[in-house]
Amino acid sequence: MSRYARRRVANRIYLALSFAATAVGLIFLVLVLYALLRNGVPALSGTLFTAATPPPGSAGGLANAIYGSVVMTVVATLVGTPVGILTGTFLAEFGRGSPFAAVVRFVNDILLSAPSIIIGLFVYQIVVVPMGHFSAWAGSIALALIVIPVVVRTTENMLALVPNSLREAASALGTPQWRVIMQVIYRAAIQGMLTGVMLAVARIAGETAPLLFTALNNQFWTANMNAPMANLPVVIFQFALSPYNDWQVLAWGGAMLITVTILALNILARLLAGWSNQTP
Amino acid sequence: MAIGTISGQLGRQREFDATFRAATAAAALLVLLLLGGVMVALGVGAWPAFSHFGPGFLVNSAWNPVSDQFGALPAIFGTLVTSLIAMLIAVPLALGVAVFLTELCPPVLRRPIGTMIELLAAVPSIIYGIWGLFVLAPFLQLTVQPILIDIFGGIPIIGLLFEGPPLGLGILTAGFILAMMVLPFIASVMRDVFQTVPPMLRESAYGLGATTSEVVRDIVVPFTRTGIIGGVMLGLGRALGETMAVTFVIGNAHEIHASLLAPGTTISATLANEFTEAVSKLYVSSLFALGFILFVITFLVLAAAKFMLFRLERQAGG
Amino acid sequence: MTLDYSPAATPLPQGVKPVMPIDKPTPQPKPLPDLTPQIVPAAPAAAAAKLAVKCEIKELRFYYKQYEALKGIDLKLHDKRVTAFIGPSGCGKSTLLRVLNRIYELYPDQRATGEVLVDGRNILDPGQDLNLLRAKIGMVFQKPTPFPMSIYDNVAFGIRLYESLRSRELDERVEEALTRAALWNEVKDKLRQSGLSLSGGQQQRLCIARAIAVKPEILLLDEPASALDPISTQRIEELIAELKSDYCIVIVTHNMQQAARSSDYTAFMYLGALVEFDSTETIFTNPSQKQTEDYITGRFG
Repeated sequence: MSRYARRRVANRIYLALSFAATAVGLIFLVLVLYALLRNGVPALSGTLFTAATPPPGSAGGLANAIYGSVVMTVVATLVGTPVGILTGTFLAEFGRGSPFAAVVRFVNDILLSAPSIIIGLFVYQIVVVPMGHFSAWAGSIALALIVIPVVVRTTENMLALVPNSLREAASALGTPQWRVIMQVIYRAAIQGMLTGVMLAVARIAGETAPLLFTALNNQFWTANMNAPMANLPVVIFQFALSPYNDWQVLAWGGAMLITVTILALNILARLLAGWSNQTP
Repeated sequence: MAIGTISGQLGRQREFDATFRAATAAAALLVLLLLGGVMVALGVGAWPAFSHFGPGFLVNSAWNPVSDQFGALPAIFGTLVTSLIAMLIAVPLALGVAVFLTELCPPVLRRPIGTMIELLAAVPSIIYGIWGLFVLAPFLQLTVQPILIDIFGGIPIIGLLFEGPPLGLGILTAGFILAMMVLPFIASVMRDVFQTVPPMLRESAYGLGATTSEVVRDIVVPFTRTGIIGGVMLGLGRALGETMAVTFVIGNAHEIHASLLAPGTTISATLANEFTEAVSKLYVSSLFALGFILFVITFLVLAAAKFMLFRLERQAGG
Repeated sequence: MTLDYSPAATPLPQGVKPVMPIDKPTPQPKPLPDLTPQIVPAAPAAAAAKLAVKCEIKELRFYYKQYEALKGIDLKLHDKRVTAFIGPSGCGKSTLLRVLNRIYELYPDQRATGEVLVDGRNILDPGQDLNLLRAKIGMVFQKPTPFPMSIYDNVAFGIRLYESLRSRELDERVEEALTRAALWNEVKDKLRQSGLSLSGGQQQRLCIARAIAVKPEILLLDEPASALDPISTQRIEELIAELKSDYCIVIVTHNMQQAARSSDYTAFMYLGALVEFDSTETIFTNPSQKQTEDYITGRFG
């Protein structure tokens, strides 16, 4: 075979391989989603959202787990978002070029990818041990610590995208800096910042490890933040690994609920922001 | 309109400027303190185990809660091996995905396919875990693993890697699942990094008659080499810390085997399974010690990744 | 420094005599061959006594890190007149303009030395409150920069910073500013719509309305029409001619014909130095520096 023909064949092979690699990734996604739907839909019933988690062998639902997840997610978002936005603002507006800001940015990126079980251990040490018991507060704090790096990253990126000319125009009117930021810059970046919050929520909605030794789990219905609280991920963990069939069905149902919510949030966030590519 | 109030208003506004600035700086400081706090908390929790077992903790493979004997080796071994398998599978795949998205894919499809790959990253760990347990593991047990045993079992040294009954669960399965989980992260970074190549450079190569794969191999990859390594290390950092997916499929045995088909454990799987059961102080502290080791390993890997990506940004003229 | 919002002329400070050759009445610009409709300045013959110096620049030097971008500028800006800064790219005209409201303070590596006296007070003094300064000296930028809010809120933004007005009064001030910016008729029915929904020329007039809404005394225009089409450009120039009866206007432009049409005084700059400063008529018909003549006639630049 001539040299050129060989090159062409090699090229075709490599490109076919890269196409195959992408196909593998996509097929995998489809397989997982299919399994979720197939096994999770049978769990959909009236009681899924109304009944609490049952002991093995009886009928029940996931209501307390859903409630716990929602509550802890909301608290975590309320606590973590302001801290994240303030830090992101510092990095984008006040700290440009300062070594302190560079260090904070570096540390933030480490926290972003750090194993979430480590966060769980950390919150165990500083919240659960002093309190003497597990609690939904501890779980919320653990989730908040995961929200913060995500919001910091997206806030800083979005604020940095606002053109300097807008800052100058506002300053030229004599606007004090805090007003320039809060009344002009935030307004310009609000879409992107909201997207960041949505992505953070999507991230913590499925996190199990940080809740394992903070909020633990609770068989029963409770609204007490000071006590262990049921939540979807830990319930799924417990039920899926059990030998009981009805528990396993509920586990799949919960898994489907979580996944649908997270995918919806992600797609919504991307539509809102119109991003083309951003590393998570 | 009162002129006198204006300087009052502006004075107050200027004070608030300082307050606002201080608030943002405080929040930033909090982030720093967080990392420090994690290190300290883990260290404090781990100290009893480290001081009791000494450096032998790292190489001891006994793990016996009853007799309070703990060694980290199986967990460390499992963490490293599963991550290695994951990298061996994920990096070539990610390269393929990145090449496809930047060179081959019709522009119309770029966004949707790119988004779908990124959705792989959005699916939580526990979902992969139950999928692995109920779908992948039985599949591997019934089909792939027997084939692997048939093909490689007889060969002298490699056969050791595939010894033992096909359980479905084990190190190899965990490696597979991890690979699919880190694939989107690495692919994302690679794609971003490929796009920093100046179009002129690509065009010059094409202009000489190079094929697409040659351009990628000889121009794009060398140009973005640092970024690729950074992306790979980012993926590695994630793989090392992955908990739930691994916990479901690794078999949770504190043992070290040569065979990939054998069960094992990782640091994060051990923590997930045993932390709430741990009774004795030494047990808890040993678990903290495992956590501390994991934290140190992932911190080093992630810091190296950040550094590499930072260098690429500078090189690209950022 | 208290603010004086009255549009009345600033009285001539004691003992200051205008140094510039301004005893002639405000000249009509002589038509240059490639000019489109000329702007004839109104009110000629301001008596010399009324021609106050609003701003005096002394020995001004400007540095980007170590690089000296402005080399010892001495200049006087007259109230109720338009002064143009012209020169080739990189000559420092925008830099000079941006010193006047100290907008460069937003960037850490930039600094200025020397004196810039506005009504006798040096605004480069570290004790000068920047926000107060910028309330008195307004700026319009090259690229229209409407804030991401409604047209009404855009114009009201500056007013709200400094004054607490009842909504009726605020409405009047907004209408007044938009009218003076020749935008009122086009937007009066859509005040609540976003400022970004306007065309480029309208956005720029919105920015001008926003700047004059706070009743500044000096108006700085940094190539205000360069991003606009010719028709919008013409409207902006007409606007400037009207506004100059109330403000000291400084305009930076790379379009010589625009400087010739719109301004009363022109400063020609080159490589960070002020080459020549004189009445526009003199600069464009009888410049005293050869460099100026070369630039005007297009031999370089």
